[in-house]
Amino acid sequence: MSARLAAMLHDAQLWVPVAVLIAGLLVLWWIR
Amino acid sequence: MVDPLARAPELDARRLRRLQLAGMASGFTAGAWLGAAEAPTKMVTLGLSPVVISLAMVLGVFLARWSLPALLRGTAAIGADVRQAPHLIVWAVLAGCLWAVANTLTIFAIRDIGLSIAFPLWNANSLLGILWGAVFFNELHGTGWRRRLGVLGGAALMFAGATLLAVASAAGAPAGHAARGVAAALAAGALWGTMYIPYRKAYLTGMNPLAFITFFTVGEVVMMLALALVDRGGIAALAAELAGARDVLFWLLLGGFVWVVGDLFQQYAAKYVGISRGIPLSNTNQLWGLAWGLLVFGELRGGAATTYGQVIGGSLLMALGALAIALASATGAEHRRWQEAAAREGARYGIDPAYVRAALAGESSGVSPSRRSWLDWTLVGGATATFVGFGMVARVPQLTLGWGWVAGLTVAMLALLCGTGWLLWRTTRFN
Repeated sequence: MSARLAAMLHDAQLWVPVAVLIAGLLVLWWIR
Repeated sequence: MVDPLARAPELDARRLRRLQLAGMASGFTAGAWLGAAEAPTKMVTLGLSPVVISLAMVLGVFLARWSLPALLRGTAAIGADVRQAPHLIVWAVLAGCLWAVANTLTIFAIRDIGLSIAFPLWNANSLLGILWGAVFFNELHGTGWRRRLGVLGGAALMFAGATLLAVASAAGAPAGHAARGVAAALAAGALWGTMYIPYRKAYLTGMNPLAFITFFTVGEVVMMLALALVDRGGIAALAAELAGARDVLFWLLLGGFVWVVGDLFQQYAAKYVGISRGIPLSNTNQLWGLAWGLLVFGELRGGAATTYGQVIGGSLLMALGALAIALASATGAEHRRWQEAAAREGARYGIDPAYVRAALAGESSGVSPSRRSWLDWTLVGGATATFVGFGMVARVPQLTLGWGWVAGLTVAMLALLCGTGWLLWRTTRFN
């Protein structure tokens, strides 16, 4: 695994938006 | 070897002031153009599905986002930017996905609880932006309580103003599924507030806004296409609806184009004044949207005095809030904390420190190719031909418009575009 990829996977600035996106998709699925 | 965490040389006070001025002007100009993006969509009186309207606007956005950067900087410069920090493509695509889901949620929120409740709820994105700015990017760190109060108080004033304006502009709000509508509006605000994490990360690390938006739009169009396909129930149904609406697609594409111009300035605001100040300033789009609705499309005509009171009061509160934020620009001490956050990012991802520092100072560390290639002209020509093609088959609906106000507002927007564009060029060369 490259150092850059490892840094990405440990970066909260990646996982916070990913978590919010998943939550948003779940809300969208619920309200449809 | 340069130590990426070495203390960066401080920007001189005059340069910092000029960058802050360019960022604040970008925030206000973003508000004007984002607010006007709604106007062309009002020409669409056909009963199209909201998701299809959103998709058509995103297609206009896609065309503009690939052609404007090619025209302003050239694809070679964008490629050079991406090679410096290729990992940021992931964040750009992620931000595009966040935008598309948020935009779709707002459509459902308006359907279920009406604009008056939905708009202030998702406009709370600025408060979330302030939180993320402080937590992840050292924004509002090392600055005095007066400036912190200016930003927080300004955002709170704008939130109150937005509430009043939304109440005034909601005529005959639908009664629907309150809990679902509130959840949709809050989720849209959370998505839009969080979308600025990728923005700020990219700009602290040194990426040019024109390069970022080129990849942002890929996430945006792919996510929107997926949502539209699920909503319509397949390719054939979606294609049939788009084909049936070809005589109004021009207005939606135009709305998307106007939106891109606003968003481009929003990106420069996020870069030079940070997200804690940039988001509230671009949220002045609500004022401009209202101005188009009231003056050009004659909305609220013959309304009650209370409604006009709410419009005037809400507008004043929003303007006061924006002024408070504009006066609370970052000091040298706060900018040093931004530089520390940028150095941390550079070290984490192995980016050339000179590139990171130059970008934060609004300068270019490398050679910016000035000549446009055949690819640039193909992109610009293709986008122009698409707009002209749809423009030729566009139907102009029978609407009574205030043409004098159309001219006045257009002149004001063009003046902001030219003035801020010139300021950005003089200060940063669009870096």
